[in-house]
Amino acid sequence: MDCSKIKQALLSLPDGASEPIVCSLFISELLKVLGFDAMGTIPEFKTGSGGNKVDYAVRKNLNNDDIFIQTKSNPYLLLEAKGKHINLSPNSGHYNSTVKQLKGYLLEPNCKSAKWGIISNANHIQLFRKHGKVIHPALPCLEITPDNLDKIITAIKHKIDNPKKALTVAIYNNKGGVGKTTTTVNLAAILTRLGKKTLIVDFDPNQQDLTHSLGLESTGDTFYSWLVNKNSKPPSGLIKPCKVSPKKGMVWQFDIIANDEKLQYIEEENLRQLINFSRLRQALEPLTYQYDYILIDSPPNWRFFSKSAIYAADIVLIPTKHNSIFSLENAATVIKRFIPEIQRQRKDGSPIALPIFFNGESMTEAAKLVAYKAINKIIAQGKKDKHYPIDLTTYFYPKFSPAKKDPHIFSIPSYATIANAAFARLPAVYKNKIATEHYLALAKEYFLQ
Amino acid sequence: MSVSNIGNLMCLYMHEINPGKGTDAPEFLIKSAAKALMQSGGRNWVPVIVKEIGEDEYEVIGNAFVYAIAEEVGLERVWCIVADSSDRTLELTQILTGELIPKVNLSTATRDEIQAALRYVIEKPNSGLSGVKLAIATNRIEEAPRQLWQSLEPITKLKCGITKGKKLNALKEVFYLTPEVNTVSNNDDESLISLSLTQLRKLAKDKGISGYSKKKKQELITLLAEV
Repeated sequence: MDCSKIKQALLSLPDGASEPIVCSLFISELLKVLGFDAMGTIPEFKTGSGGNKVDYAVRKNLNNDDIFIQTKSNPYLLLEAKGKHINLSPNSGHYNSTVKQLKGYLLEPNCKSAKWGIISNANHIQLFRKHGKVIHPALPCLEITPDNLDKIITAIKHKIDNPKKALTVAIYNNKGGVGKTTTTVNLAAILTRLGKKTLIVDFDPNQQDLTHSLGLESTGDTFYSWLVNKNSKPPSGLIKPCKVSPKKGMVWQFDIIANDEKLQYIEEENLRQLINFSRLRQALEPLTYQYDYILIDSPPNWRFFSKSAIYAADIVLIPTKHNSIFSLENAATVIKRFIPEIQRQRKDGSPIALPIFFNGESMTEAAKLVAYKAINKIIAQGKKDKHYPIDLTTYFYPKFSPAKKDPHIFSIPSYATIANAAFARLPAVYKNKIATEHYLALAKEYFLQ
Repeated sequence: MSVSNIGNLMCLYMHEINPGKGTDAPEFLIKSAAKALMQSGGRNWVPVIVKEIGEDEYEVIGNAFVYAIAEEVGLERVWCIVADSSDRTLELTQILTGELIPKVNLSTATRDEIQAALRYVIEKPNSGLSGVKLAIATNRIEEAPRQLWQSLEPITKLKCGITKGKKLNALKEVFYLTPEVNTVSNNDDESLISLSLTQLRKLAKDKGISGYSKKKKQELITLLAEV
């Protein structure tokens, strides 16, 4: 890869260069070096039926019948450029608004096919990945210097040339009993029904409810030895299929990595001596090219298993109960302390938390008010936090904006059938129409575009 | 300088303004707002939106509430913005002033738009739709072949708790349809293949083909392509 031209472009950019100059000198070279030629680059790409236009949309042309600048369909990557005078350092006001702008474009109808988004002003650059409706950082927001330019471009090119198929989701709340396992199983079930290839990882060795809830036994040490004997491919027998046949000639199948006896009985300290927090992520890596979704069920608390689960995830889904103040407070702790802790180790800007949702309790108007009051307090505390001041608003009220005080929180109501389905060793989604509808809504709200 | 008044902020005589449709705001709001206006100097900083209907003759098209207050106070003149007299401006103005509920085109609406509209209707006080489950109704309506609908009637057949009468009428407040005529051109197998079996059956029914319910998907496609 030849970075000399783009390095030249970077050095020749005047301080405070405006957006058009950054685009014509730097961005055009950037797109070339990433492998997108003039026939695959559309400036001012119309993202939807409204008047919105993203600075660049690009795609490689695989055959001559489908030249991007002619068909103008199915962009692969969007790029939003800014002038050098705009400060894009992480968490500055301009950074936040630019990220929001890019995310908006990525979700518009003409950009459904887009897998990546980049923001850059030639001082900073960040790559985002899009999977369905989910957009998460693929690299942290990096400062560009002539010395690290090659490295940054190599990193971006490596990511966009080897796109993973799967979105890895950890289902976590360090408060117990909020329905992590129920959510994991039913989400997997509904994603499977929608034709997505889904894998569940039961990473809660103390309960192993998930394994049991599907009628599987946790025996042996397959999972354990896969983790401990590094370099080994997933052994046969590790991934077990869970098949449901709703009617003749039709099969829904998702896969599961069940927990095993060895993980259950081994002391956490001993396990820690053998493997690292990052091992699960490493082990799952080859599977991310085979599945559409990998869901990791994690235990409450903040120890080895849950840390590994979060480390392995692209995003974290946090179920809460509206009537449990602890589940809400703990959700806030996960977002402001635990996830950033992992982000610092991962150094790629991920995982990030999805907005919380209320899981499985019926809610009266009065109870709703109490919950909102508690959440408002948690948000206020988050802003005042001495060590980690953070604005938690979007994690609790995703539709909220300064001018639009919309406090809607997604919720799955309580139905006896959802809990009872466990007796039948089947996900509720496969047994009950109402459960199907609610988990379908969950999948569409968070994951599917 | 242009001779037209359009776009100008003007202090017009009350008697030159035709109240238009008027407001249905309750007396209490008008009386107490009138008092607040008097106590703060009598200038309506939020203007009435009017259109010109003749020489020195205007008609209220937006902020009728402000006009009603001015009338209550007995102002001689009221601050107005003069808008053009097109029907589009009339509609837009009333949407912007919150006097008219904007409608969503259900033939083409996205899931988020459908959900937001349903939530609005369901959560309205005294809503006819109370008891309808938002998640379920959104799923069913989104997945239905709405681009073919000629009216909102088929919603009542989706088994999502929305029945004919009061409930369906409540939806007419927020949804309208622009059915695409012949979305599926007859000889276009490919567009037929992309439809679900339910959609194909519906199409067959609309076209008056009998015996469609027993046909397999491929048979239906061939049948529809021939018509």
